[in-house]
Amino acid sequence: MLRIIFFVALRTIRGHLEGVLQKIVSLLLFRAVVLGGILVGFVGQAAPERSVVQIMVFSQRPDWDEPWNWMPVGRSSGTGFVIHGERIVTNAHLAAWAKQILVRRYQDSRPFQAQVTFIGHDCDLAVLEVSESGFFKHIEPLPLGNLPKVRSTVVTYGYPAGGEQISYTSGVVSRIELQNYTHSGRSRLLAVQTDAAINPGNSGGPVVQDGKVVGVAFQGVPGLENTGFFIPPPVFQHFLKDIEDGSYDGFPQAGIRVVPLQNRAQRNFLGVPPHFEGARIDALFSDSAKEHLQKDDVLLQAAGYSVAQDGSILYEGNQLHAGLAFSLAQNGESVPVRLWRDNKEVAVELPVFVNREDAAVGNLYHAPRYYVYAGMIFTPLSKDYLSTFGRDWLTTADSDILYELFYRRKSDPENTRTEAVMLASTLAHPVNANMRIRGRVMVDKINGVRIDRLEDAIRAFSETDQAYHTIKFTGNYGFETIDRNEADTANQPILRTYRIINDRRL
Amino acid sequence: MKSFFVFLLLAATLLNSTVLGQKIPSTWEQSVVRIDVNRHTFNYFQPWSRRVGASKKFGLVIEDQAILTTANLLYNHTLIRIQKGGRGQWAIGRITWIDYHANLALLTVDDKAFWDGLKPAKLASPVPDSGPAELVRWNAGRLEIRGLNINRLQIRKGQLTFIDMLHLELDSEINGVGWSEVLAVGDQVIGLTISQSRNKCIAIPSSFIRSVLDAQAADHYRGMGFFNFFWQPSENPSTLAHLGLSGPQRGVIVTKVPKLPGDENTLQPKDILLKIDGFEIDTLGDYLDPQFGPMMLENLATRNHWAGDPIPMTIWRNRREQEITYTLPKADFENELIPTAQYDAPPEYLMAGGLVFQPMNIPYLKSWGEDWLRRAPVRLIHYKGQPPTKERPRLVVLSIVLPDPYNIGYQAYRFLVLDKVNGKKISRLPQIKEAFAQPEGDYHVLEFEQGEPVERMVLDANQLNDATQRVMFRYGLKEDSVINE
Repeated sequence: MLRIIFFVALRTIRGHLEGVLQKIVSLLLFRAVVLGGILVGFVGQAAPERSVVQIMVFSQRPDWDEPWNWMPVGRSSGTGFVIHGERIVTNAHLAAWAKQILVRRYQDSRPFQAQVTFIGHDCDLAVLEVSESGFFKHIEPLPLGNLPKVRSTVVTYGYPAGGEQISYTSGVVSRIELQNYTHSGRSRLLAVQTDAAINPGNSGGPVVQDGKVVGVAFQGVPGLENTGFFIPPPVFQHFLKDIEDGSYDGFPQAGIRVVPLQNRAQRNFLGVPPHFEGARIDALFSDSAKEHLQKDDVLLQAAGYSVAQDGSILYEGNQLHAGLAFSLAQNGESVPVRLWRDNKEVAVELPVFVNREDAAVGNLYHAPRYYVYAGMIFTPLSKDYLSTFGRDWLTTADSDILYELFYRRKSDPENTRTEAVMLASTLAHPVNANMRIRGRVMVDKINGVRIDRLEDAIRAFSETDQAYHTIKFTGNYGFETIDRNEADTANQPILRTYRIINDRRL
Repeated sequence: MKSFFVFLLLAATLLNSTVLGQKIPSTWEQSVVRIDVNRHTFNYFQPWSRRVGASKKFGLVIEDQAILTTANLLYNHTLIRIQKGGRGQWAIGRITWIDYHANLALLTVDDKAFWDGLKPAKLASPVPDSGPAELVRWNAGRLEIRGLNINRLQIRKGQLTFIDMLHLELDSEINGVGWSEVLAVGDQVIGLTISQSRNKCIAIPSSFIRSVLDAQAADHYRGMGFFNFFWQPSENPSTLAHLGLSGPQRGVIVTKVPKLPGDENTLQPKDILLKIDGFEIDTLGDYLDPQFGPMMLENLATRNHWAGDPIPMTIWRNRREQEITYTLPKADFENELIPTAQYDAPPEYLMAGGLVFQPMNIPYLKSWGEDWLRRAPVRLIHYKGQPPTKERPRLVVLSIVLPDPYNIGYQAYRFLVLDKVNGKKISRLPQIKEAFAQPEGDYHVLEFEQGEPVERMVLDANQLNDATQRVMFRYGLKEDSVINE
């Protein structure tokens, strides 16, 4: 599996991020080329670099294992650029968990404080604002361009590691495809691959063609030379349009699985006329899809794009998966689709929505939810929580937990919990000294109540009249019991001993 | 003076093994034999291909012209050769009895002359749980006798089965151990080795072997039984109090009772096991064994008991003690949703139009390598440990698609759990054949489990046989299916 990396220049990030990103820094071949004065002629417009800012971020990530705690403050730097409306666009992975953001103008040593006004973790984009007056003076917003053509030349602007000055690199657009956006880990959106050197610190920097921004540099793949990725106009334009109403919703999904329909027998079975293309809808996941579509519908057109037998559409000259057609809509909008169903063509308007229930995306939006009772720390199962198991969490985590997080929603939706809850660990205290199971297990029931989300656990503990609380775990882990009165009495002393201000974050 | 002592030492060493140049055979030379097994090995990712493998192990001559050895590596054999004295002629061996759950086998040699000069060894019972022991094996034509130390007797999962049973653990610095080498104290055999990891050697203790052989000889042996329930320690006094058990802490708590076909035992979750077979169970699940001291309760299922034996139990249920009888279910791979093993049979498969279907079992999952639990798809591993149901006693997977014009569009799919064919639920390969006999019009409709990367495929029913023949020819398959009866 390819590991995608972000292009944040690392200064002193500690914790488990440190090892990962420092390795990335060492892996990457730095070949930033300072083109300096030749650039003006190269892009055909006056100095876009004046609109490019260096961003220094002091961030603090939560500790998902002890969710009231925060990791040590880390420092990283990246790039941003000014667009209309006195806004700075950069990457979400740079601005995530920021405690302080400082921006520096081109050839200006003064740091200005910036704030995140919108952040889109699924598309790895953020908008910053600077409240101090004078920051935007003499800065021309960069105009936004269109999706560049493959083989066309682009120039990246940024402040990558290896120097203090702005750096320019040029390259060609190698290919345009749907890619996994690593920051969220679960979104698959349009991305452009280029051979322009994009290095740590380039994150959030503009990719320019003919004086217009045609991309935002964001990630790469260690081990692949001359390969960097940037976020293209359809994605960042979608993001900017999304936030026009004052809130960010995200990229919607059709909530379906489209699979190739290339087998002749299967096409005949579905009665698809020979001159029709189209791919098969194999599964329906969202309520909207279940309401408007049927399994074995043949998707002929999506948002006006013809769907080929392999499930692709031709978008701006690029053969891309049909899922793109749905993600181009805004949350709640309807996408017109044409289907082959029951031996006739059918037109359907499919409302599409952002999938907010996918715990596997990670808890990137808020500090982790938790509840501490009698020393037992309960927190939702998420990808971020699993990352506390170590860098090899994918191989060290129990397969039942991985199944719950990544598969059950599709394979067993009737029994899927809205939010699986983990007993993360247990803070040692005489009241729980005899408990054998102390953490890293998933909770099934508390006092006989099935735990579908964290609030269920709180309610189950508070609403019982039994003398003992019973906590049952999933799989073969059995259960634990604790005296209710003793637990209630010990709760506050435990919070004081471990300096936990609040017993919960909901 | 120094040279005199060296002389004495040399003389003593020579006298120990020879008298006037004539070698005195050691007792072990007359009892330990080499076993050479040629057998089929299989690649479950290509179930139609088989290779030939060879393994060397050791056996022990016991009474009635029988050779005792572990069952490991005897499966799928094509030829068993046995050699006495560590060199010379090989005799052809034959299995007279084998039990993979007990990991024991008896071999014999029909050639009467083979038995000349061989002497049955004595099996120690009970076996010591500490002290020095010796490992005996043939090495390059010489009898090798090396020292090791008995560490403890322990209950652990058997090498070839899913049940827990008694094992002997020894500290050992000897390399390459685990091929049924004989372990001895004095002139008595205390066990046969089964594995070595780092400096720990694991063996089957002779007390266990003796009990199995005696039961088998007396026709009492009905296969290994086991406790078909999960339990947890009851060290947490709150748990016992919650269940209403007062007085001193004791017993363990039943947490899960998987249902087996024909198993009419009545144990329930939250029962507290207080006594099993007359032995009191402590809060860690140990009982005090009269021979070995504290042992885990699982030993009571295999300690002179066999499948079908009634075991008296005292349990705490509904706030009072109750006496029940637990009938030991038979350890049987047939009763697992994902069978732990398959011995003496080639991997099953059914190829239809290039689509290769296989039963899901642990040998199949082990095809992902030593770290298979981490490397095999979570979707498949998830089924491990789940109980079979009446509707779904087993699982079948579409393992791979051998590309052919017939299956264009499906070539990339693999490792999909099959649910139905032509509307009929599939648990075993023969059901696929039956379902193919009843197509839906001109088509075969294959449905896979919900959540698989694809949930439905359709095949041309009229062209299936031609495509199957074509794929067999192109990919060198001699048979379109291997289904063990």
